[in-house]
Amino acid sequence: MITAAHVRARWQRANRRGDLSAAMIALAPAVVLFALFNVYPLFYSGYLSLMNWDGFSSHREYVGLSNYRELVESPMFRNALGVTVKYTAGVTVLGVVLSLIIAVLLNSGIRGQNLYRLIYFLPVVTSTVAAAVVWRYLMNPGNGYADVFLRSLGIAPPSPSWLRNPTWALRVVILVGVWKRLGFNIVIYLAGLQNIPKDYYEAATVDGAGAWGRFRHITVPLIAPITLLLVIMSVIDAFLIFDVVYVMTDGGPLGTTEVVGLLLYRQAFRYFNLGTASAMGWVIFAIVFTATLVQWKLFGTREVGV
Amino acid sequence: MKRTFFLLSIIALLLAIPGLPSGFDVRSALAQEPIKLTFWNYWDGKNGETIQALVDRYNAEHPDVEVENVFVGWGELLPKLQLAVVGGDAPDLAAADMVWMPYLANSGALVPLNSFIEAAGVDLADFYPALLAVNTYGDQIYGLPVSTNNLELFINQDLFEAAGLDPNTPPTTWEELADYAARCANPAQGVVGMELFTQPGEGLTWQFQVYLWQAGGEFLTDDLTQAAFNSDAGRRALQFWLDLIDSGAYTISDWGLFGQGQACMVMDGSWMVGIWADTAPFKWTTAKMPYPADGQPATNMGGEHIFIMAKDEAKQQAAWDFIQWFTSTEVQLEWDQATGFMPVRDSVATNEAYRAWLNETEPRLLPFVEMQQYAHNRPPVEQYAELSDVFSAMLERALYGQMSVEDALSAAEAAVNSLLR
Repeated sequence: MITAAHVRARWQRANRRGDLSAAMIALAPAVVLFALFNVYPLFYSGYLSLMNWDGFSSHREYVGLSNYRELVESPMFRNALGVTVKYTAGVTVLGVVLSLIIAVLLNSGIRGQNLYRLIYFLPVVTSTVAAAVVWRYLMNPGNGYADVFLRSLGIAPPSPSWLRNPTWALRVVILVGVWKRLGFNIVIYLAGLQNIPKDYYEAATVDGAGAWGRFRHITVPLIAPITLLLVIMSVIDAFLIFDVVYVMTDGGPLGTTEVVGLLLYRQAFRYFNLGTASAMGWVIFAIVFTATLVQWKLFGTREVGV
Repeated sequence: MKRTFFLLSIIALLLAIPGLPSGFDVRSALAQEPIKLTFWNYWDGKNGETIQALVDRYNAEHPDVEVENVFVGWGELLPKLQLAVVGGDAPDLAAADMVWMPYLANSGALVPLNSFIEAAGVDLADFYPALLAVNTYGDQIYGLPVSTNNLELFINQDLFEAAGLDPNTPPTTWEELADYAARCANPAQGVVGMELFTQPGEGLTWQFQVYLWQAGGEFLTDDLTQAAFNSDAGRRALQFWLDLIDSGAYTISDWGLFGQGQACMVMDGSWMVGIWADTAPFKWTTAKMPYPADGQPATNMGGEHIFIMAKDEAKQQAAWDFIQWFTSTEVQLEWDQATGFMPVRDSVATNEAYRAWLNETEPRLLPFVEMQQYAHNRPPVEQYAELSDVFSAMLERALYGQMSVEDALSAAEAAVNSLLR
């Protein structure tokens, strides 16, 4: 149990050695920037979420919690939350499972491992907007590669075309999200896999465990802390999705890809309801924060030694 | 000592951050420099080249002023203006979409032009009244129109001929339009007969408004307080779109098929004449937009308005001088001929040289010039952007068959009315 007295004693001890003021000076620029560009906007948006303001005029009206109340009642916001949860679940589950499989295959001593790693990692370092534009070309109705490829197999592409199709649009967006994220997950998993002692596998093989058994009973449990880390990062990242959707579908068709990030952007920068947009930002923050805490608690804090 | 030096260097670094007051008066030091004006607009392609050439010429002819022409994409311009106003570094002048004017004018960030207009003796009666109306709130004028446009019919002649249709006898009624479109569509090749704008947003709304007006309807009531589109005319217009889809004349797709040679016809803006004249890899022509046999001619009007945001009086005057030059009949003549924009001044539209130029170089602009008199204004209300989005979202449901025509329009009416309240 750390008490105020402990802190004070430690402070004084550190300060006597002269470490503290030097540390504070060294930290000052970063702290100032962090305060200016993170902490201040955070609280300012909290203040704005209690206001009605169009962003231009000098007139701001205090409206209390009514922006939040409107959000809770808004069918559009509820739809957007649903879409965002679906997207997050899709990208997280597919992204983590696929990347583990690929990482295990790559780790099995395949030739040219570095080349594959590079190929899978390329999307991660590609500009998201540029990638989304290219994906839109690929999914273009009629002459896009997806349609051309399907037709060459004798399969009719969906109508309306992918990104205008209420069934397909979100799936395509999830696919792009997974594609973008996969490389990062693989690289982290590979690092983790290489830390698992070979002896375990050898011992298991001697005891008669097959490839699946070794994967199921050695790899999966030992890699669990990394899985937790990747899931948490992926959930946070996916929940805040905006750019891919903005470029590829703009939320359509029929609102099936309308994620909360897009709705927030619209409220803030198309309709200029800055109060509503700020309230939305805080609701999103609360959800992501809670989700992270729950994952942390459910899947054990001790294992995350990363 | 070392630590003191470290501390001092950090203070020096912090002071070097731009924006902190340095106590140095830049203006007095640079008294001989020309007045610098920043001018934001979203004209790109050929229009962008033209405005840059005009600005360059203006700068060359006016050594005491330096206008910097800055391109900002259409989607970014309004948010960027908003952020710039809040941040205190708004451009000195800007040209922006006419639908944003109610919002911009009410923001308090625009400089009223009345005193400049009076002092310069500009004849406002020469500008089309429907265009000025968008800039006038109370008795203040916050901007002047610099370009306008409207929507008429484009025809792909190659596809028409392939379907055995004569592009020289274009459809004139909705009935003919539907008939031609159904005959020209070729779903196996991905060719639609008549391209519609079916993605939610202002694109859908402003296209649909033309059909609504043609059928005799109105979008909002005259006092702009209520939706008026949930009417016989509204239902008829929406049903016409659904019939085009049902007959196979149109299949829901991303906007832009006509430009890719995948649509026989499309209703698009006069600005596309200049663009497709250069880029379309097929033969095309234009015609007046067909309207119901018992309806009326109508089109929608867009365009840009120029306004001043500069705080400094010398800059305001310099910005006004540029606006006066840019909106003058001579420069407008040149601008309209280079860009294909519709004239904003009667003296340009009726100018003999302009008429002769149209006939000789680009007769495909004639339907647009002739129909400008039937152009309606989108309702100048502050909530228009959101209103247009919710309206189009409901129409999209009807187009996807998820709602009946009646239900979609009723739902849109309820949504729009709640925004106007």
